[in-house]
This record gives sequence, structure tokens and C-alpha cells, in this order.
Amino acid sequence: MRAKRVVIAGAGGLGSVISIYLAVAGVGKIRLIDHDTVELSNLNRQVLYGDGDIGKKKAQVAVRKLQALNPEISVEAVTETITEDNALELLGRFDAIVDAMDNLPTRYILNSVAVNQRVPLFHGAVRGFEGRATTIIPGITPCLKCIYPRAPHPEVTPVIGVAPAVIGSIEATEVIKYIVGIGGLLTNRLLVYDGLNMEFMEIKLERHPDCEVCGHLPGSQK
Amino acid sequence: MSVKVRLHPCLKKFAGGQSVVEVSGHTVAECLDNLEAKFPGMKQQLLDEQGKLHSFYDICVNLRSSQTDPLTEPVKDGDELLIITVIAGG
Repeated sequence: MRAKRVVIAGAGGLGSVISIYLAVAGVGKIRLIDHDTVELSNLNRQVLYGDGDIGKKKAQVAVRKLQALNPEISVEAVTETITEDNALELLGRFDAIVDAMDNLPTRYILNSVAVNQRVPLFHGAVRGFEGRATTIIPGITPCLKCIYPRAPHPEVTPVIGVAPAVIGSIEATEVIKYIVGIGGLLTNRLLVYDGLNMEFMEIKLERHPDCEVCGHLPGSQK
Repeated sequence: MSVKVRLHPCLKKFAGGQSVVEVSGHTVAECLDNLEAKFPGMKQQLLDEQGKLHSFYDICVNLRSSQTDPLTEPVKDGDELLIITVIAGG
């Protein structure tokens, strides 16, 4: 665990939960990327931050708290916006990429880097009381573009605080299992969490043979 | 010919509060036509002006994601459609 390097894209609701559990699990090197500052409206779900952090850069506050939780690991804050131009620089050379973003276009960027670098991408998303999660192993499972070929129109997403706690915990569980090499991963399945009715469902996923991102990789039916 | 449609919670209000309804059809598109006949207004929620599925929604047959346009997926008696939303918050 100590030898592994994990990059977490997003230090919001999902990123708070994921980073806490990966830090205390002892992942040796964590890079946390978020360009945003803490706002009052974040505090229902972004459990790394408190009232006194409002106005401060999320990644910088988060790193201080994570480092205090586990001084034996290395945690790095990056306050840049992830773009196609800087994605490889920010996300490359890690053993795993963890998706804690709040929009699909940036997730597509993470997905492209993961596929091109053959690095696993741990996907999670939330809205209201709902969540989705899956683990993407390039060349073996569908990539994010296979699963979501079209991005929905951007929106301000309402989120009840516990939804990212559920999905973030699932993502962190997947990362830990992947690093340790135990159990079965959430691959080729999209976990659908409905907190309002407290239901979990699974949707079977398949690689898209014509996927513009991963269709060229071995194993595609193309 | 009966196909069960499990509606996303945001669509229940268009089906009189029901979360599961039954329709008929040989494709997902036909099922949506019949869904509209039973519950007027439903199709407008799901499809855009060109008759394509809004990017906010996805439709799975028997909990399997479509590799093509979900509307063209064939269905048979006893199949189940799941209408879910594409979400992106974090």
C-alpha cells in the first residue's frame, strides 16, 4: 500500500470521503486535484471542510487535514483545473485514477488518460439521493465513453450529504481491493444506488466495439 | 405481450405515482409509444424534438446497457425496461 501512487480528481463530496479512507488506509502517495474554494453550500457533504475553511482552496485545506490524519504518507495538493492540455501531466504516472469530479466532460478527460496509460479509473457520481459507481480497467472493461456516449447538459447538481459518502466509500473500497489484489472488483457492472428507496441495482455493461476512446484496445469485438 | 417498465423516480408523477407500469411493444421505441398512450406527457420528458432519447436518460433492457441506440433495442414478452438518469455530480 505504501508503495502505491493514487491521484484523486476532485476534492468535493466524493473526494472528501475517498481521500480520507485512502489516506488512513496508508496509500503512500496521494495527489488531490481541485481548483475550487470552499463555500458554505459545500459543507453538507464535503466533510473535509468546516466553517472556518470557507474561501480557502479545497485541495490545500484537504491536504493539511489528510496529512494530520496520516503523517506517514505523502499528500500533494494541486489547485489547477484539469484540461485536455494538462491532463497527462497531472494524472500520468499514477497507479490509479479516482474520479471524484462533478461533471462528465472532465470525467471524459480522466477516462482518456486512463485508457491511454492503461491505468484503472474508479468512477463514481451522485445526484440527489442517487449514485453510480463502476471500476474501469482499460482493455478489459467498458470505458466511461462506452458507458456514457453522450454527456447530459451541465446543471447545478443538488446532492444530499450522505450520497457521496455511500458512493465515495464504494470507490475507496475498490481502490483498496485493487491495490491489495483481493476480492472481486466492480467491473463490467454499473452500480445504481437509489437512497430514496434504499435500493442497489446493477446494470450489465459491455465494451462498445466502436468506442472512440477504447475501441482500438485488444479485446474489443471490433 | 407485456413489458414491465421501471420508471426513474422523477417520472413517477407522469404515471399517477406508479414506479412500475406495463406496456406492450417489440422495440423500446414502441414501448415508449405505448407508454405515452397510457400516460400522456411521458414521451416529451424522455425524447427530444428529433425523437432521440434525451442525454439525461438511459434505458436498459433486462438490466443490460445498450451498445447502440436504446430506442432500437428489441424487446419480448416478459422483458423489463429500466429508465434511469445519467448523473454527474460529485
